[in-house]
Amino acid sequence: MAGNFWQSSHYQQWILDKQDLVRERQLDLQILSEEEYQKICIFFSNFIQILGEQLKLKQQVIATATVYFKRFYARNSLKCIDPLLLSPTCVFLASKVEEFGVISNSRLITTCQTVLKNKLNYAYTQEFPYRTNHILECEFYLLENLDCCLIVFQPYRPLLQLVQDIGPHEDQLLALAWRVVNDSLRTDLSLLYPPYQIAIGCLQIACVMMQKDLKSWFAELNVDIDKIQEISRYIINLFELWKTYDEKKDIQGLLNKMPKYKLQPTR
Amino acid sequence: MQKYEKLDKIGEGTYGTVFKAKNRETLEIVALKRVRLDDDDEGVPSSALREICLLKELKHKNIVRLYDVLHSDKKLVLVFEHCDQDLKKYFDSLNGEIDPNVVKSFMYQLLRGLAFCHCHNVLHRDLKPQNLLINKNGELKLADFGLARAFGIPVKCYSAEVVTLWYRPPDVLFGAKLYTTSIDMWSAGCIFAELANAGRPLFPGSDVDDQLKRIFKLLGTPTDETWPNMTALPDYKPIPMYQPNMTLVQVVPKSTTKMRDLLQRLLVCNPSHRISAEQAMSHIYFADINLLPK
Repeated sequence: MAGNFWQSSHYQQWILDKQDLVRERQLDLQILSEEEYQKICIFFSNFIQILGEQLKLKQQVIATATVYFKRFYARNSLKCIDPLLLSPTCVFLASKVEEFGVISNSRLITTCQTVLKNKLNYAYTQEFPYRTNHILECEFYLLENLDCCLIVFQPYRPLLQLVQDIGPHEDQLLALAWRVVNDSLRTDLSLLYPPYQIAIGCLQIACVMMQKDLKSWFAELNVDIDKIQEISRYIINLFELWKTYDEKKDIQGLLNKMPKYKLQPTR
Repeated sequence: MQKYEKLDKIGEGTYGTVFKAKNRETLEIVALKRVRLDDDDEGVPSSALREICLLKELKHKNIVRLYDVLHSDKKLVLVFEHCDQDLKKYFDSLNGEIDPNVVKSFMYQLLRGLAFCHCHNVLHRDLKPQNLLINKNGELKLADFGLARAFGIPVKCYSAEVVTLWYRPPDVLFGAKLYTTSIDMWSAGCIFAELANAGRPLFPGSDVDDQLKRIFKLLGTPTDETWPNMTALPDYKPIPMYQPNMTLVQVVPKSTTKMRDLLQRLLVCNPSHRISAEQAMSHIYFADINLLPK
């Protein structure tokens, strides 16, 4: 369903205003700084990415799951649902919507357990605490909060078209820009800008990284160049943050500081 | 749920019971589809999710509207626009006679709904008279987007009732896994003939083999020339070489030349040669289309 973006629920309901986003996060931002909030989001985006890779999902499914995650917390505090539960739930829902077929719940939970134990043990010392019933209950809640808007447009397809338009031998550029799009999932971009603009922004960053001069090609695109600059800024900020940030060292402290959900899972 | 007063049961859908209900505030009549969540592992069934997410995006006068999704203690209820009957029930009420203008109007609306789906890259994949709803104003709407999915069309639906093969194209019957919009165009062709015959199905096969034979007896068994990749399809099996021994006029006796011309462009065995919904709408048969309520 890659039909018409301008008539989609994505465009009509889920391109949010920066001010609104800040306002909705007020509760969390009383406890966390904006940067700390972003670090927590990055951590769980990584969790979703690793889960998806372990389950052999396509990047499109992983990206959709990540957008569900961002949309949920754009309207809710982190203490509303433990992001450690919401992450796998987003993967579960996205795999069904993207027609990847249903991941069995037991496999999902086993994967969560191994990922936590083998790859994220610097963040969590105890084992993954949730079970099937939690995921199913959470899925319901997620669906309601997304207002059943499940079809998400991603920058990947417009990116492919743009690179094709540049020329026939741009595999290296495409690969790099593709990775920048993956990185963009760790920012708020998917909540704020249409995917084709994100694709252009990511492509521009990739050109700068490769020191490739495509100024005249960009000039011919019929886009709002200010928006593209804003998008580039988000990505540059992310790269800046990564330069000095050691997730392995800091994340446990951040997770302890994070506003906590009221109910602890029953085991 | 208090918002709606439940009236009669309408039927069993792919994934749950359908009720007619009245909105207590607006008195509007709606159809409520309750989604069963009894499979412990799957959560919200993917067929229901598919229907929800597609109908959330597809808003068109020839596609049934999803008004709302209600969440109440572990139940999911979809609130749909209510239509008086489906095309199957409409056929039953006809006594074998149908006004040619009604045939044209219904067919045009079917194509218009399909063209809209197809331009949004959505395939219906399970078109049949039961999935086409009709209201008092003579409007036709595509419904039930839930059954079909990308990984093969299930052969059994929820109530273990066998899904009908009558509207499946030969490529799908031969196990083609890559669906394109052409799948819906074949079904539209079958429905067109059934409309013209006031409800007599065109290819009422009893199993896959019988279904294919019925199709090829009318249209002729495809050859390497008319359909080059046929023999490479996963479930391909040789079918006797039938020569087309009946003409469309024998099968659809009350049809006009223009009607048969359109029908012939829809019922093409090779999927890549089937006409698109958009093209079909500008066929000369529709030149004098009149969509006034009957």
